[in-house]
Amino acid sequence: MARLIEQFQRLPGVGPKTAQRLALHILKRPETEVQELARALMEAKQQVGLCTVCFHLSADPVCEICRSTSRDQSTICVVADSRDVIALEKTREYQGVYHVLGGLISPMEGIGPEQLHISSLIKRVSKGNIAEVIIAISPSVEGETTTLYVGQLVKPFTKVTRIAFGLPMGGDLEYADEVTLARALEGRRELD
Amino acid sequence: MYLKSLHLRQFRNYRDQEVYFTAPKTIVLGDNAQGKSNLLEAVELLATLRSHRATRDRDLVQDGTASSQITALLERATGSVDLALTLRHNGRRTVALNGHTLKRQIDFLGVMSAVQFSSLDLELVRGGPGYRRDWVDTLLTQLEPVYAHILQQYNLVLRQRNALLKQQKSRTDALAPAVDATELAVWDAQLAALGTRVIRRRSRVLQRLAPLAQAWHHAISSSTEHLEVHYAPNVSLENDDPLLIQHAFLEKVKERAIAEHAQGTTLVGPHRDEIEFTINQTPARQYGSQGQQRTLVLALKLAELKLIESIIGEPPLLLLDDVLAELDLKRQNKLLDTIQDRFQTLITTTHLGSFDAQWLQSSQILTVHAGQLV
Ligand SMILES: Nc1ncnc2c1ncn2[C@@H]1O[C@H](COP(=O)(O)OP(=O)(O)OP(=O)(O)O)[C@@H](O)[C@H]1O
Ligand SMILES: [Mg+2]
Ligand SMILES: [Zn+2]
Repeated sequence: MARLIEQFQRLPGVGPKTAQRLALHILKRPETEVQELARALMEAKQQVGLCTVCFHLSADPVCEICRSTSRDQSTICVVADSRDVIALEKTREYQGVYHVLGGLISPMEGIGPEQLHISSLIKRVSKGNIAEVIIAISPSVEGETTTLYVGQLVKPFTKVTRIAFGLPMGGDLEYADEVTLARALEGRRELD
Repeated sequence: MYLKSLHLRQFRNYRDQEVYFTAPKTIVLGDNAQGKSNLLEAVELLATLRSHRATRDRDLVQDGTASSQITALLERATGSVDLALTLRHNGRRTVALNGHTLKRQIDFLGVMSAVQFSSLDLELVRGGPGYRRDWVDTLLTQLEPVYAHILQQYNLVLRQRNALLKQQKSRTDALAPAVDATELAVWDAQLAALGTRVIRRRSRVLQRLAPLAQAWHHAISSSTEHLEVHYAPNVSLENDDPLLIQHAFLEKVKERAIAEHAQGTTLVGPHRDEIEFTINQTPARQYGSQGQQRTLVLALKLAELKLIESIIGEPPLLLLDDVLAELDLKRQNKLLDTIQDRFQTLITTTHLGSFDAQWLQSSQILTVHAGQLV
């Protein structure tokens, strides 16, 4: 029991109280249900990797979004994290494809451009069939730096815009509600 | 504004203490190390979300506990406000107004205003430039709460850029590739943009404060003394155009590139600003006797009081920690004349002997012993 609580507590956003509640809940459920959960966890871990094109989470080498013929393959939305793809997909407003950087530039954490999926983005864009790159990164200090950096490298090849969202200070893209994001997508401005 | 009550829980040496303020002047009396300054510190925290004594919240939280609460009832011209601040050992803070937890801490700033004057403030004259920057930053935070955000962002960019320069320094001798020039340029741009906002705001507030301080100084000291408060930003400020300042900023970054590279740290920006005080054209640090330096600090504090009052339209609180007894009678009276009953004042002292009998009578006296009012 203590081991289970400890494991839950390692999850993001779970404190000691919640961990205890979750553990008690698990112990009360029928065994089949718990097995189902355990299997889902293992299979997700074993089967889900990163799309080789956009680096979004994917069970296949190339994700569904990148494979889709109904999506506009000439528009790329650049985000920091797969969570942001999920948030943007919920708006159903965006028809293009994505590129997930896998983090933000932060020298204090030892993250420079080479630790992120930036060179692969430049490769994608330099092929010449991309009409627009939309940068959707939160306006934190690290987000701003990453946006400006990516913008500079991409600009020689195509039009670059950024989403101008009025996110609360210190807010993450994840927390922006869907209406705000949808509106932001319409009101994007060119990066200078 | 008027602070009606304060409730301290697990804060410093206070386990659970309510304090009711019943007069415009409150004297907090007690022996050394009983909790007088702690009480004023709680008020300072509500006003500025900073403490001039502690840098980590774990020092504020009572030993052996995980969190402290400071709550207060404040009467403002617009109505009364309940303030609540929770401090935690792990550094996370929660702020609430009228029972509603706020998402952003800057929305808590500017609700209660206070000017703190303690014997530590003599460092404003004697100490290094960091004291003077902290002083002007604390004042700005109360007048323009968004400044707290700008300054925090600037400091973050500064730390990130320093980390990058340090990496760059350690890489030069190794075979690893040099730091990406584009990345450094992007950090430079952010440093300049945010630094410019800091510089312009500091300049603006000092321009308004300087004549007030000068007038007060004139009134308290012998009138032959002429005080000047001069802002000396690290990036020179020839005019107030943000684009021109940013340009000058980036030029200076370029000039200092080799030195920055060698030292692995940022050498340009408002974290290196100075604020100079001169009396009759001589730096106050060299000029003054202790008494003269005290006069200067008193003039600065009175100027702060008036500036806050004129900007927010209500008199702020005045927190006098140990300083009153250190002033001679003439200066004490000058201060008290100014305060009158308009500025609610909390005064700490170890003995009542040096106070004027007349206004001892009109004051509320609270005696503190080992974290409790007796
Ligand atoms: N986190 C804490 N937990 C418990 N006690 C604390 C904590 N921080 C400080 N104290 C205690 O508070 C006391 C100091 O209180 P304070 O600084 O208010 O004294 P004071 O009454 O102003 O004294 P003085 O006249 O010397 O200025 C000390 O006894 C100190 O041990
Ligand atoms: Mg004290
Ligand atoms: Zn993909």
